[in-house]
Amino acid sequence: MIWQALCLNPTVYAGIQSAPGGLGFAVAVVLLAGFSEAVGQSLVLFLNRVRPARFGLALLIATLSHIAGYVIWTLTIWVAAGLLFGVHAPLLAVASAVGLAYAPQIFSFFILTPYFGNAFSVLLSLWSMLAVVMAVRIGVGLQTWQAVLVASLGWLLLQVMQRTIGLPLLHIQRWMAARAAGVTLDLRPRDVLRLRRHRARTWYTQLESWHRRRGFIGLPPEQTPVGGQTHVHRTP
Amino acid sequence: MFTGPLDILIIPLALVLAFFLWASLAPFETMGWWAGWFGDKIYHDNVPSDGIVRAVRGHPACYVLFLSGIGRVSGHTLSFREQEFLRQLALRAPTAVVLDDIFPYSVNNLALTGQPIFAWLWRWALDRKRNGPPLAGYLINIRNLFQVAIAIDHRYAPLYNQAMAEVVLDSLLRYQYDPESPTPIFVIGYSGAAQMAIGAVTYLREWVKGPVYAVSLGGIFSSDPGLLAADHVYHLWGTRDSAQVWRWLFPGRWRICASSEWNRACRHKRVTVVPMPGMGHTGHGGYLDVKSRAAGQPPHVCLTAQTVADLIRHAVAGQPVLTPLWTAPISVIPHSTSQIALLDDCPTIHYSEVEHN
Repeated sequence: MIWQALCLNPTVYAGIQSAPGGLGFAVAVVLLAGFSEAVGQSLVLFLNRVRPARFGLALLIATLSHIAGYVIWTLTIWVAAGLLFGVHAPLLAVASAVGLAYAPQIFSFFILTPYFGNAFSVLLSLWSMLAVVMAVRIGVGLQTWQAVLVASLGWLLLQVMQRTIGLPLLHIQRWMAARAAGVTLDLRPRDVLRLRRHRARTWYTQLESWHRRRGFIGLPPEQTPVGGQTHVHRTP
Repeated sequence: MFTGPLDILIIPLALVLAFFLWASLAPFETMGWWAGWFGDKIYHDNVPSDGIVRAVRGHPACYVLFLSGIGRVSGHTLSFREQEFLRQLALRAPTAVVLDDIFPYSVNNLALTGQPIFAWLWRWALDRKRNGPPLAGYLINIRNLFQVAIAIDHRYAPLYNQAMAEVVLDSLLRYQYDPESPTPIFVIGYSGAAQMAIGAVTYLREWVKGPVYAVSLGGIFSSDPGLLAADHVYHLWGTRDSAQVWRWLFPGRWRICASSEWNRACRHKRVTVVPMPGMGHTGHGGYLDVKSRAAGQPPHVCLTAQTVADLIRHAVAGQPVLTPLWTAPISVIPHSTSQIALLDDCPTIHYSEVEHN
């Protein structure tokens, strides 16, 4: 079924709504995708020097957070379909189809692939978007253009909620993630260039050293030093 | 057995998935090191000196570190071409301390054959590589290639390059290097190891007072901040080195990416490309080929060693070569009659040895 979902087969998205245990299967797909994504995003945990014993717990919390995201995502799609086209499909049926649309994200850990990770990320985003459109089209019973609109509005609603009434939830989620990790998760991947594992020289020593080197190799005096001047000191 | 066109694709698809699964697991070594999961220990292979390589001879005028290509499994090179290159280099740069006992594809210099869990696998792969069939031996190359990709990836590169800089500094310190002294350091990276060399320089130059030069020996490297951090970068480029085509894989190496580190370094005259006439990437006709290509011509390994030695000599004399892109080595560093005589002095090589690059 997962293979068919990955192939965006409309039959399987329709079938899961009526299949016995369909919702359970969809939730299992979401859990699997959530765990995969948690592993794929685990760089943040490592950057913040999480301990091995806490690593699994942090992954578990991230996976469960994914379930919360799934529930909200399903609700926003259901609400958007009602608002835009007055369609009120059974919520559980929509939830089953939307859950199956998480199938491409099972490959989220491929984001870790060195150098090609970003390409995987883009590919998975596009793939997931197509799967969601398929899920909405079949799950809610809409035409393709309507499904695109509903999915877009659902996404917009989700963004608005995350920045307004969802903020407390987001804070709770972050708090739980930090508690599980046992460290404050304040370092993000964008900080990685500034990170230093050991204390460097003091800035004036570096400056003096830089000037001496610059004179040594005879570079023009107007040339400015590059890099290595801002540090986030992390003592192991 | 197969019922449809997609079913036929299942086996190749499974292989591709397995490949990318392996690739996506590769960064855990680097990330785990950063998080402190493996401690701070830096491992040493304790490779003995042969008298001129890995030896401090008198008062060192400079330090030269050679980072090997992706075929290596430990700090001990098994390539007779690399051994000969290092020997020739040490002969031509007698005041330099020439070191090569670094395994640049490990965050803590731990040999693949010394790993706690998978040592048996790498020993088996190495055995296949040496005694054949060699296909399994390419597992080593693939594994090391993943490490090169990690050193390129902007998410992991700052972590990996710091680890590599620590390994390099540790190696230097073991050979009486004084970080407070103005002694120059040359980090030579062969093939994929050029990325490791350039990446490590970014951090190495924050810890030492002397100038740090990166030398790419037919290197495959991305547009790395190390290109701007190094005091100068020398890129030895064989005119028959077809592997250089891989540079197009890195958008920062394209001319249209004007603000990339590579293009900025070129504009600031921080890079010297040294064409190596007639040299290929590896093996016969490669930079380190020990056989003469034509009668009366010195082997490539001697020419390469002499070129690097000349670059070192100029830097040690306080006049490093700073000529820009595409300058022929023959005009940058003219070979005097005495130097040619030295080139002719190449020793006999035992060709029966097996090359492992």
